[in-house]
Amino acid sequence: MSRPVILVVLIGIIVSILGGAIGNAFGLGFLGSPIAHIQLPAEPVFPKPFIDTGSGLIGDITITNTMVASWITIVILAAVTFTVNRKIREVPGRIQGLAEVTFEFLLGLARNIAGDNARRFFPLAMTIFLFILVNNWIGILPGFGTIGWVESPEKVVHHAEVKAEKDHGHVNLDTVHLQVFEGTGPIVLLPPGSIDNHMKVSQGYYLTDDGGLKDVPEGQYLDDHGHLKDIPEGQYLDDHGHLKDIPEGENKENWYGYERKVSKETPNLLIKSQTPGLLIPYLRSANSDLNTPLALALVAMVMIHWWAFSTLGVFGHLGKFINFKQGPIMFVVGILEIIGELARIVSFTFRLFGNIFAGEMLLIVMAFLLPVIGIIPFLGMELFVGFMQATVFAVLTLLFGSMAVASHDEH
Amino acid sequence: MEGDIKTIGAAIAIGLGAIGPGLAIGQLAGKAMEALGRNPEAAGEIRQNMVLALVFAEAIAIYALVIAALLIFVA
Repeated sequence: MSRPVILVVLIGIIVSILGGAIGNAFGLGFLGSPIAHIQLPAEPVFPKPFIDTGSGLIGDITITNTMVASWITIVILAAVTFTVNRKIREVPGRIQGLAEVTFEFLLGLARNIAGDNARRFFPLAMTIFLFILVNNWIGILPGFGTIGWVESPEKVVHHAEVKAEKDHGHVNLDTVHLQVFEGTGPIVLLPPGSIDNHMKVSQGYYLTDDGGLKDVPEGQYLDDHGHLKDIPEGQYLDDHGHLKDIPEGENKENWYGYERKVSKETPNLLIKSQTPGLLIPYLRSANSDLNTPLALALVAMVMIHWWAFSTLGVFGHLGKFINFKQGPIMFVVGILEIIGELARIVSFTFRLFGNIFAGEMLLIVMAFLLPVIGIIPFLGMELFVGFMQATVFAVLTLLFGSMAVASHDEH
Repeated sequence: MEGDIKTIGAAIAIGLGAIGPGLAIGQLAGKAMEALGRNPEAAGEIRQNMVLALVFAEAIAIYALVIAALLIFVA
């Protein structure tokens, strides 16, 4: 590399470190955004469920952000397919040429794995490959996970309570964190340079005896036992909820609300144009929701067994699993095969879900530590992981398919 | 207190779960290098198969990571 390139890369890394969480420790952190709220289940795009079944067994049907992301993928794939298919010529144009090269390459790969059955398995394997690939790749576009609506503190605490109720515990308000957003409205995003825009629910809200959530009124505070008390004259609450004396000579009017001073020096400031809450993104990588990989795995396994049944016949295929003819050892082997089939679904699901969810978490943490510039190599790595997981899912579908259609006597 | 035990559990889950895949990836890459040394012409094929196998080894670590994440974010 030439010297100017090295210099630019070096400056980029230094800026990224100083602008991020590490720089924040020295009063910098001009690029950093707060560490986003990591949540395992997909979040609903609309606050209310789409269909309220009222049944505990099925649950409500909500439109989640991962669903929206996978619909976008479907639209993209359908649009590309339609464009290619509209004008098929003998001498291919650019788009048709790209599609043909891709398909021929992948069909060759499929032939290596599945042999004569490749043409039969290819449509499903290719669909799975493209669906997962596009899902993974659009999942790291900007806007995924960063633009959304704000869930109110009451709702956040309500969810924490529901979770605590399942665990037979109590909500510790100190552990419930909120982010602070500029302005209100249906679309918000986390602005850069806002690393410290976090507050604890206990700083501004308290639980009433009947389980409701109320604002701590101005001029009052919560003591250690959870009782409301007036803030004594000449004192204020700091960020940790401790009473402190207002320094001599400061104007009392500058100390806004329960505990915050309107000043740039105080990290946890909340002025009147800001809203506390949690960001619920409109879009999120579809495979970071366990349901999408599970659905794909079920489709793949059902089709694999369908192929096996149509090739070997019902008894031919069932005979692999329930086997009385060849003695007790083969019977146990058959039982193990059943367990193996179930384990395949689980490993299919968790391999894809784990990789993509871990990737999302990695990107969130890296965006916190090394924002804007330092995160670029990790984005590249996520592109590679997304491609590899799509390949692995498709290759395994082909492999399991060709194993399933092989009759038992052959091997 | 309960949270502390969960955190320790998550750390143990990913810590122990990373040992196996770590050994596997090392073994895999070592053998691939060996094969590459013996047969440099097959570099493309070896690399392709190695990466595929690496992904499978890595997936085991990811399972452990999922358990750790479940412990922290869900349980």
